[in-house]
Amino acid sequence: MDHNYFLMMSYGMTALAIGAELVLLRIGRSRALKHIEEERDLETQD
Amino acid sequence: MNFYYFSSPSTFYRLAGKLAPWFFALALVSGIAGMYSGFVVAPTDAQQGEVYRVIFIHVPAAWMSMFTYFVMACYGAVSLTFNTRLAAMMARALAPTGAMFTFVALWTGAFWGRPTWGAYWVWDARLTSELVLLFLYIGFMALANSFEDARRGDRAAALLALIGLVNLPIIYFSVQWWNTLHQGSSVSFKGTSMHVAMLWAMLLMMFSFWMYAIGVALVRCRTIILERERRTQWVRSLT
Repeated sequence: MDHNYFLMMSYGMTALAIGAELVLLRIGRSRALKHIEEERDLETQD
Repeated sequence: MNFYYFSSPSTFYRLAGKLAPWFFALALVSGIAGMYSGFVVAPTDAQQGEVYRVIFIHVPAAWMSMFTYFVMACYGAVSLTFNTRLAAMMARALAPTGAMFTFVALWTGAFWGRPTWGAYWVWDARLTSELVLLFLYIGFMALANSFEDARRGDRAAALLALIGLVNLPIIYFSVQWWNTLHQGSSVSFKGTSMHVAMLWAMLLMMFSFWMYAIGVALVRCRTIILERERRTQWVRSLT
């Protein structure tokens, strides 16, 4: 049985999971900052 | 030192912003060192061959999955007892990372189990209780986000986290309490049966995951603070 396949699947998925978490973290922060700006713009219009 | 000063979201936001890059840098450096030790320095296992190298992420991820849950439940307890906003935010910030580590522990365990046991999955006590831990994390996140009022979500999720604590000793002692396919612990306070190079690689990866988890939790907590405090003057002055 080729052990490289099991190592690749393990390390590959770990890298993917960490990468996905970091991307989601960045998206979450951008969204939060956007909400703040939108609310401020709405208040300025009022 | 007045610790109440650091429980203020505005103080914590700035402090976390300064600390997070250092934790990520430590995670990266120790992760590279751990990978080098694990793949170059550590010898091939006499019985399992090369596939044992999954241990360098499987074991640290499994440890982190339990430790993160414990810390999350502690923050939940603090938020319930003292009604502190920041503790509830930290509990929320830790949950996705804990879930990620639990998933990684289960996934890498499956890809270690197949060549060594002949199966990706068995309904073994250790594996099943770790799967329950993943469901607890998912339940925590779902419950925390299912309320219109975030503070009510915090309280309900904290309660679930505290109830779920009972699963941690079950995971840890499952290999002793039941006749499991999963092996017992190779590392304990009494010593280790591992080669020193293997142990160092595992400890370096453990440190790397730990630093990563702290860094991510700090960044995520900053985002939660931004969302919850968005109507305050200090947050508006940031953008």
